[in-house]
Amino acid sequence: MNTAADIEIGKKVVIKSIDENHPSARRLLEVGFTPGQEIELVHKAVFNDPLAFSVRGTLIAIRKGEAECIKVSPKMN
Amino acid sequence: MYKSITKDELTEKIPFVLLVGPPNSGKTTLYNYLSGSNYKTANYPGSTVEYSIAKVRKKLNFEANILDSPGIISLTPGSLDEKVSIDAIFSHPVFGEPNLVIVSIDASQISRHLLLLKQLQKTGISVLAAITMVDILNRKGFGVSTEEFEKLLGCSAVKIDGRNGKGVEELLKVATQKLGECNHKERVKYMHESDNSSLINLYKEIEEIERSVLVPFANKTKVVLEKASRKLVILNKFQKDANSNLSKTSKIDKILLHKVYGLVFFFAIMMLTFTSIFWLAAPIMNLIDDLFGFLADKSFILLGNNWFGDFIANGIISGTGSVLVFVPQILLLFLILGILEDSGYLARGAMLIDRPLSKIGLNGRSFVPMLSGYACAIPAMMAARTIPNRRERLLTIFILPLMSCSARLPVYALLLACLFPGNKAWLAGLVLASIYVFSSVSSITVAGIINKISKNTFGKRDRSSFILELPEYRKPKFNIVLRNSYQSAKLYFKKAGPIILIFSVVLWFLTYFPNSNPKVDTNGKTTEHVIEQQKADRLLSSYAADIGQGIQPIMRPLGLDWRVGVSLVSTFAAREVFVSSLALIFKVTDDNSTLQNSIVDAMHDAKIEGTNQKLFTTSSIIGLIVFFIFSLQCLSTIAVSRKETGGWKIPLLQLVTYTSVAYILTFITVNGLRLLGVA
Repeated sequence: MNTAADIEIGKKVVIKSIDENHPSARRLLEVGFTPGQEIELVHKAVFNDPLAFSVRGTLIAIRKGEAECIKVSPKMN
Repeated sequence: MYKSITKDELTEKIPFVLLVGPPNSGKTTLYNYLSGSNYKTANYPGSTVEYSIAKVRKKLNFEANILDSPGIISLTPGSLDEKVSIDAIFSHPVFGEPNLVIVSIDASQISRHLLLLKQLQKTGISVLAAITMVDILNRKGFGVSTEEFEKLLGCSAVKIDGRNGKGVEELLKVATQKLGECNHKERVKYMHESDNSSLINLYKEIEEIERSVLVPFANKTKVVLEKASRKLVILNKFQKDANSNLSKTSKIDKILLHKVYGLVFFFAIMMLTFTSIFWLAAPIMNLIDDLFGFLADKSFILLGNNWFGDFIANGIISGTGSVLVFVPQILLLFLILGILEDSGYLARGAMLIDRPLSKIGLNGRSFVPMLSGYACAIPAMMAARTIPNRRERLLTIFILPLMSCSARLPVYALLLACLFPGNKAWLAGLVLASIYVFSSVSSITVAGIINKISKNTFGKRDRSSFILELPEYRKPKFNIVLRNSYQSAKLYFKKAGPIILIFSVVLWFLTYFPNSNPKVDTNGKTTEHVIEQQKADRLLSSYAADIGQGIQPIMRPLGLDWRVGVSLVSTFAAREVFVSSLALIFKVTDDNSTLQNSIVDAMHDAKIEGTNQKLFTTSSIIGLIVFFIFSLQCLSTIAVSRKETGGWKIPLLQLVTYTSVAYILTFITVNGLRLLGVA
């Protein structure tokens, strides 16, 4: 299954689930990465880490390791 | 130490109102508007780390103590600064339970920001919502319905704009009402949603509320009718408009967060920050230097050659001058940091540097504390509270004393002026820049080494996280940035000033007594000559000389003598004391040149006691610079390190490590240079 760490810049995807075992899972939910939410990868820093996502009308940078616990599916139009 | 006003001073009877809100929600802007110029504690750039309290300004006709707190996104603390805020909601350590909590909610981010409000409501605390950034939402084609908001959330809400005060009067009117209501509700310490799925459900609930609260312009009725397909309409519309509005920010980010150019700009911005501090501050510093040199001369002439005249000129005036001379640089550094923060760049800088910093056991969030460390290690250590991971936070605190703080600047300025006299000033500037680079590299090296050792000792690293919102770029609000940097500089001055002055006086005493009026042969000598002779005799038989003899054996291997040793010991009060104590010990305010130039002259002439060997040579000056780069000579830093790390272990380790490393490296530098033939 694809995770938010695998998508390309500019691609919109929908969050399917968050890996609850990841220590950052709760924080990710709190800042707005909730299942059903549409997100878009906007920027990548050097070495492709951290990644900046557009979520709920703002930009949030998270580490690649944290993006890996966000399972996503392509946006359906 | 930042609790500059106590409960008594603020009179207990008036209500206590707490401002909370997510980061970048306009909370501090509202606070600034409410407090006017009344507020007593300043926050250093790098966001609110301690609280700041003020009375609401008179004009607004609302009597209350209002407290600003670090931004939080939920009631589950992720870091120490968030814990400070969350604790204050239930019971502030000084002011007790708040009578009312005003929570700021960014209208354009309502779904994210309602989470905090919903959680606050569950605690039974009296809450009032201040809806900010409505103009941004309007540009996205939406308005906010406060009626719907109040109906669905059961919480009073007022739209405000903290920049011009629009709506604030209304907000305070509702706040007065709320304060009047008897609030007998039992308060419950918030138990966070037992599992993540209830958090997800809470978000679902919030999304429902958002749909009713956000009203698209023009087709309001239509949307209400189309309840079934409402979700789609709003989502699509919002998304489309949101993108066009974000375009300014994303256009800038295309460059500033670019994989290659982003880094180029990052280093360019850092370079610009530090060079402008030197170039812009230099003329003002010279002016202050000249002024105090002049004042010291005049007062000595006016008061005559006695202990009182000497005390005023050398103890008080020179001491004050050496405090004031570095204020322009501190002010500038705070100003630039404030502008960078307010424009939204600091968060990006943190993102860009997270990966490299995580390699040496730090975090992208260490970036702001490290940058503040160039101003002063004390606010920097407090800013490290925003780092969630304890190990990373302690490591950041550990290396902060190595960042070249502004107190070292006057010392380097003096030593470099001595090394490159007259027309080689540009060379001094270049060397100064490399000192900064060198100290940054050293701090990173130390972090890397400690990280390696601790990894080998403790095995696998604990969990580390970097989740940071990148706010939209905006024009910095200069008046607020200016006011904050003025406050920071004032706070710094108030803290460091008295210590420096006291040490100047103590040093003056130690160098003037007990043999205050030595007998000298006056036959065939000019008055000036006699004064010179008296000064030398007085110093040689002073208490300072006695102390100095004890230090002499330690100083000799470094090519220095007891006089520098005494100055180095006095720097534990504050590093910049070095300049004033050298000035005192070498008794230099008696000629017509400025303070700094005269110290430089005296340093050039100084000989190692009892020998004909020059004291300040190229090698010994470079050695001193190396010493200052590494040595932890600052009692305030040690005290704050103890407070922030919760024990003596880390500050003592810092003190021992940095001082011994400084001594060893200085020894190697001085003697190495001499072996190479550098005097």
